[in-house]
Amino acid sequence: MASADKLINTYVPEKDVFALHFLQSLSNLRTQNPLNSPDKSIDRVRKIKKAAYVSMARAAGGTSRLWSRALLRRAAKDDNKSVRFSRRKRKVTWKISSKRKRSNQRAPVVEEAAERLRNLVPGGGGMETSKLMEETAHYIKCLSMQVKVMQCLVDGLSPK
Amino acid sequence: MENELFMNAGASSHPPVITSPSSSSAMLNWVSMETQSVDPSLGCNLFWEKSTEQSIFHSALSSLVSSPTPSNSNFSGGVVGGENVMIRELIGKRGNIVDIYGTPASNGNVSGSCYATPMSSPTPGRMMVMKTTTPITEISGDPGFAERAARFSCFGSRSFNGRTNSPFPMNNEQPVATNEKMPRISSSPALKPLVSRVPTGESSGEFSRKRKAKSKQNSPSTVSPSKEIEEKEDSDPKRCKKSEENGDKTKSIDPYKDYIHVRARRGQATDSHSLAERVRREKISERMKLLQDLVPGCNKVTGKALMLDEIINYVQSLQRQVEFLSMKLSSVNTRLDFNMDAILSKDIFPSSNNLMHHQQVLQLDSSAETLLGDHHNNNLQLNPDISSNNIINPLETSETRSFISHLPTFAHFTDSISQYSTFSEDDLTSIIHMGFAQNRLHELNHGSSKQVPSHMKAEL
Repeated sequence: MASADKLINTYVPEKDVFALHFLQSLSNLRTQNPLNSPDKSIDRVRKIKKAAYVSMARAAGGTSRLWSRALLRRAAKDDNKSVRFSRRKRKVTWKISSKRKRSNQRAPVVEEAAERLRNLVPGGGGMETSKLMEETAHYIKCLSMQVKVMQCLVDGLSPK
Repeated sequence: MENELFMNAGASSHPPVITSPSSSSAMLNWVSMETQSVDPSLGCNLFWEKSTEQSIFHSALSSLVSSPTPSNSNFSGGVVGGENVMIRELIGKRGNIVDIYGTPASNGNVSGSCYATPMSSPTPGRMMVMKTTTPITEISGDPGFAERAARFSCFGSRSFNGRTNSPFPMNNEQPVATNEKMPRISSSPALKPLVSRVPTGESSGEFSRKRKAKSKQNSPSTVSPSKEIEEKEDSDPKRCKKSEENGDKTKSIDPYKDYIHVRARRGQATDSHSLAERVRREKISERMKLLQDLVPGCNKVTGKALMLDEIINYVQSLQRQVEFLSMKLSSVNTRLDFNMDAILSKDIFPSSNNLMHHQQVLQLDSSAETLLGDHHNNNLQLNPDISSNNIINPLETSETRSFISHLPTFAHFTDSISQYSTFSEDDLTSIIHMGFAQNRLHELNHGSSKQVPSHMKAEL
């Protein structure tokens, strides 16, 4: 569907961008915890995971994507920080899909699956179904890229 | 000009005499002549009272306009004889037509020769309307003739009736989209509701308001060439237009407005809600196709529900992978000194590294998948020979103690995934010890028997 891609922008940067962001975040983690294992491994895992997601969101387009924006906001809220949003070119209309008058007429099969998808994709709660699917496509691309990066990192780091 | 055709057909008083190449002025002439009609009732009602004439006229016109630069023979062949008969009747009834046609000397286009020889071959580059005995002024060859003629037919069918002085909407002047639409004009019944709106004296400004490309408007009366006759059915933000195009749908995104223009398909409801619904459904299906390309293994699946399930599973598996890899990374971190420079200099991201190494990790991933995917089984039927072995393989070189120290991480990891049954440490160690024995065996069979259950391996 090359033509569809032109209308729906699902551009994802190269692997290097993701790698750079992730390594930066990891090094930040390292400097934060100079001691080797001050905390339990769970926390370490969680931190790494969070660093992975945040770096992925940054690499994927910062605050120009709905899901990355929601992800960053979520992460910043946990850290009690604030996220700086870039100025949006177009106003994002938020439609609360559950309050649609004619929601019962929208294909219930699709809507039910869309609900599940909304729980998975960050920031999906406020999106309309068609927008949700756009974001899902981009999210999938970025996730797979991040997985590749992490895999390579693990490969490189693990002993031969 | 086509105006002559209508003139003659409608037996309006004045010949249109079009000198100016622009169609607008031609129309103006026509209209002015309409208003100046010596005999308001001349032919107009007469002509159109005969219902059969309409259809004949339309068909004749369509055949006419379908050949923009016809030869004389075409004309004669195209025009149904009945039309000529009608016109002859009109001429007979109104004997002064010739005089009337002769009067407008202002335009200077009228030439007696034209009248004398209505069937004479058209001058080069000009179109002649051949009515047998009707006086015809020269018709300038006009590429827009067909369109204008067609438009005339649309509006003529109704507007002629007792509306000789009706202000003719100027919209028709502009060349309609393409000639290919002309044949459809003959479907007059479809046009009637359209046309009925015309004589209501809607200002052309109203039409122009609906034009999407406002920049193309040269004058208030002009019509964007890409638009056809619009039907104002609803004043929704979504401009919907009924068109005679069969099953055709166009959707264009307006750079000036945020409206999406949609055409109602033939035979479908033109309710604004249903149209919006249809647009929405098509958007969703288009995006579903996009997603289908992204998610591997979705080509066989048909149907929205299954596709969406597949997509959801894929997203979930990707997220699980991230989690697992982060866990792995943390374990790697504990064992090694995390040295940024070392990593960066290590060229970690080559296209192909140690093949064996990759395979090892491959197996690890597969083991992870089996671990994760097997949450249904509570009794740890995890292909212990392969999986546990593979858990060990990459870490085999390290001390077993360090490995066992990682068992808690594994357990923790599995704990964090609520849906999976928690593996007790004892179970894991037992598996691992089981796998130890078969270590050597499976080391050899690294790449051969590896099945690739998940996409992750495919990527590597």
